[in-house]
Amino acid sequence: MRNIITTHLMHLRTEFMLKMINHSKNRISFQFLLVMLVMITCPLAQAEENVIAGTQAANEDANVLARVKVVEAFVEWRSGPAEGFPVFHVSEKGEWLSLLIRKTDWMKVRGEKGREGWIRVSDLLKTYDSSGSLVSIVEPQFDDFSTRRWEAGLMHGEFDGAAVNAGYAGYWMTEHLSLELWGSQVLGDSSEILIANINLLHQPFPSWRFSPFFTIGAGQLFIDPKATLAESENRSEDTIHAGFGARYYIDNRYFIRMEVKDYKVFTNRETNEEATEWKIGLSVFF
Amino acid sequence: MENWTQRILLKKCVALLLLSGLTTLANSQENLLVEPDVRPQIVDESVIDTENFEVGMFVGVMNIEDFESSALVSFRIAYHLSDSLFFEANAGQAEGGETSAEKLGIDFFSDRDYTYYNFGLGFNAPGQTFFLGEYTFNNNIYVVGGVGSTEFGGDSELTVNFGAGYQLLINDWMSVHVTGRQHLMRTDLTGEDKLVFNTELSTGLSFFF
Repeated sequence: MRNIITTHLMHLRTEFMLKMINHSKNRISFQFLLVMLVMITCPLAQAEENVIAGTQAANEDANVLARVKVVEAFVEWRSGPAEGFPVFHVSEKGEWLSLLIRKTDWMKVRGEKGREGWIRVSDLLKTYDSSGSLVSIVEPQFDDFSTRRWEAGLMHGEFDGAAVNAGYAGYWMTEHLSLELWGSQVLGDSSEILIANINLLHQPFPSWRFSPFFTIGAGQLFIDPKATLAESENRSEDTIHAGFGARYYIDNRYFIRMEVKDYKVFTNRETNEEATEWKIGLSVFF
Repeated sequence: MENWTQRILLKKCVALLLLSGLTTLANSQENLLVEPDVRPQIVDESVIDTENFEVGMFVGVMNIEDFESSALVSFRIAYHLSDSLFFEANAGQAEGGETSAEKLGIDFFSDRDYTYYNFGLGFNAPGQTFFLGEYTFNNNIYVVGGVGSTEFGGDSELTVNFGAGYQLLINDWMSVHVTGRQHLMRTDLTGEDKLVFNTELSTGLSFFF
């Protein structure tokens, strides 16, 4: 838009110059004054606009990148987000650092001269932010182990002597009671069994680091006999189960979970079948 | 008449200039009252972008014992638990070739798709790579291991895998991998029940988010 106006003004100016040649030199036209005024103010206004735009950009940049001030004697910078990467720079007390991204326990920072590197999050917690207070980052910790609502995990174990891989997601309705959905794949010698389960889980001592639980549930088994065996049809069976286990909090948002379940499988034959399953795996809470 | 018109116009012009001058003055005073450029910002976890997840796509070769080698495509997702420990899950697909018996005309099975999934833990050992004396990149040498299942010839088998790889970190969000992995499973597809070692060699790109 500004360019169009400037072009138009240039056009006006040329036109005006031509007119001026025809007019007497003594006569100063009001129109001339006005045009001169506009011609002078236009670039000035544009320059001012550029300055304003620049300031706005700087402000936006400052809003995106949080900054902290080093208050310890020094902070070590590493070339990457791990203890094993070499230290290549040190920030001194009073230096301002911009925060870029975080990976596990490391924070990428940019120094006042534009240099970038990684510092420990534990070192970041010893810096001041621009409001003058100590930086506080609340990590998922042991307290959250009993208060977070969602958890999910992958496990491996044995189902009636055959290997089983399983995944689950659970929702804690209260700190004692959770509802879970499971999907398992049993890799047997004679068949592959897929199991879908829904179960309730009760933990009597949610505040313990090693927290035992009891569970009951129901589901469906889909049995697919091996191709190398004699012809045999796929079938599905109803099942119920009961079991016990424990969750053991490790660090951050993850914990180990182990459990034993006893399954009763309702067949359409004369007797029902039973199977025992144990599993161990890694879970996270959200 | 002309003078009178000019006088009126000039008066208006002067008034306008005065007014604009006053507004500019007022504005500049207002500017002084505006807060400084750097506003106090409280730094907590909400202003920090955390990138602990990594997704990747790999291509390579899968050597399926007794069934030749074939092209492999796999996908990987990893969650970094700490600076050295990560949790990963993989899913991939290859295609089984022909056994020597099949080449002699004995029919085995028609379904040749070799698909697998696995999950497990990995351990990173960080380091640096130097190119041409002037470029420095961070890298990780890693070992991985886990369990999963492989479906081949219509059967699914428990599969244990372990391997090692090299990861070149191009920047903060992208890396290149070169991986070698062994997939161990028991199978009776060739008539006898035996433990087979399927070897995977692959390379791929991964992205952090």
